[in-house]
Amino acid sequence: MAILVKIAIAGEGGQGVQAIGDILAEAGNEEGKEALYIPNFGVEQRGGVSLAFVQISDEQIGSPKFQHGDIVIALSERAVARTKQYVTGDTLFVYDSSLIAPPEVADEAVGLQVYDSVAPEAQADAVSEQPKTGKVELPKNAKKVIGIPATDIALSELHPRVFNMIILGATVRAAGVVDIETVKHALETKLGKKFIDDPKLRELNFNALQRGIDLVEEALQGEENNDQKDV
Amino acid sequence: MAEKPIQEEKRVFMTGNEVVAWAAVAAGADIMYGYPITPQNEIMHYWTRLAPKHGKKFLQTEDELSAGFTTLGGALAGRKSFSATAGPGTTLFQEPLSMAEMMRIPVVVIVQQRGGPSTATVIYSQQEVNMVTFGGNGEGWRVVYSTATHQELFDYTIKAFNTAWKYRFPTFILGDGYQAKMREPLVMYNPEDRGIEMIKPVASLGLPGTPGKDRDAVHLRNTYSVEEELYDATMPIQEDYEKMSKEVVEWDERNVDDADIIIISHGVVSRAAIAAMNRLREKGVKVGYFRPITLRPFPDEQLQKVAAKCSNFLLVESALGQLARLVKSALFNMPIDNFDTLYKPGVGVTAEELVQRIEKTIK
Repeated sequence: MAILVKIAIAGEGGQGVQAIGDILAEAGNEEGKEALYIPNFGVEQRGGVSLAFVQISDEQIGSPKFQHGDIVIALSERAVARTKQYVTGDTLFVYDSSLIAPPEVADEAVGLQVYDSVAPEAQADAVSEQPKTGKVELPKNAKKVIGIPATDIALSELHPRVFNMIILGATVRAAGVVDIETVKHALETKLGKKFIDDPKLRELNFNALQRGIDLVEEALQGEENNDQKDV
Repeated sequence: MAEKPIQEEKRVFMTGNEVVAWAAVAAGADIMYGYPITPQNEIMHYWTRLAPKHGKKFLQTEDELSAGFTTLGGALAGRKSFSATAGPGTTLFQEPLSMAEMMRIPVVVIVQQRGGPSTATVIYSQQEVNMVTFGGNGEGWRVVYSTATHQELFDYTIKAFNTAWKYRFPTFILGDGYQAKMREPLVMYNPEDRGIEMIKPVASLGLPGTPGKDRDAVHLRNTYSVEEELYDATMPIQEDYEKMSKEVVEWDERNVDDADIIIISHGVVSRAAIAAMNRLREKGVKVGYFRPITLRPFPDEQLQKVAAKCSNFLLVESALGQLARLVKSALFNMPIDNFDTLYKPGVGVTAEELVQRIEKTIK
């Protein structure tokens, strides 16, 4: 059977959703796999939920978009509502449990928010004010739901701008289809010059990446322990 | 000798629009004329970045009518010229393109289909099939390659320049917004390195010497005084078109010999069709696949041969029967067991829904 992993990532403009999708697919490609990334894009220049579709496989990928994701990542309240349609009983659903208005980013050097490989309209660059209402209904039909306080951690422990690197790390761990070293290499390719200019940036980004991996790792471990208790 | 645009064959990972710009450079295109419209804008963006490095040119015009006519002008001057458009832009391109049909001007136009009618969406559809195949006032003397992958976008963009200049009919690459905006791997190469000889463009107008003295006068016409004169002018074009058709027609068929049902699709939708076929074959369902690569000229005979083996069809497209019209015309007067359709105008088609649909009908 062919391996095919389908990943949907959704968030507010400015959270770096498209960069996460792009880097992930790039890493898949670097490993010699078939990889396909497509952003949602429309007539709006800003606002709205930003969605990235990524598929990684060992053979040619079918349609660019899909009906159901193996991994669905939602980074805001609206994104949770927007992505419910992609969730089935096989889906690992990851959301940002901080779910606060996302940090504003205008600097691509840290956290890689914007670069020019896709159309400007594919990348909302302004932050929509989406206050936390506390009324989010998480999908009930997912195989697993994991909440990680990525925004809180970015703000309190790392740097608001590496929020999406935490999410990238979390996605890499959740998907388990690309090696973290390839992802780091893909980041080096994109940001190499800036990393050389300021080595602290590399450390900051890579730390955030690792933090995201650990968060999902812990959540999955926790679930396993709970399962064992039930037995 | 100018530097090779692509140093050596290499695997790259990029958007479809970027692929088209690179392919045009590799094909030796001289100039792009264009007017912006989503989702093809980045073809222009990437071309304008690449062009100065390779001694090539770009002109942004005031609208698509002008973009079409300037592209014709470039070809008349002996330059490999091309343009790219979508949606309402493709509508405006019909007038210059029907002139290209009448005057046999070799131009290449890339169409990245968006939703229709009118402004609709900037995202995706397969709703420009009618327009690219038979959109002008005339007989549809065009060549239309409908691509499905980034590799094909690259291969067929190169091929389109040779088809246009060899046969002197306007030639389309028919992509779509998904192909335009998605990123996936492909291998880029210089056609010459693979033994593909690129046809050298020749000027139609502005030739050296005095007309009538040193050479014959060039008289390109798209206007005729009487009915019979037009008839005498057009019938040889039709003959040329029919002669060319046998040489340029392309299609893909898989697993048709033992098939119980055959999916017909084109372009990016055929990726879902292949994936659905593979999944169903694993379950023992005998699914076949037929895909026209040239929508114009259409592989009529090839489809008829397939229909003689199995004519239980599922036709699927992101439009309301535009491919179906071409297919039905090809199958005219043939006995057909079943002709099921899945029309999703302006919406993508996934392998999952094709699998579901076929599992339902087969039972």
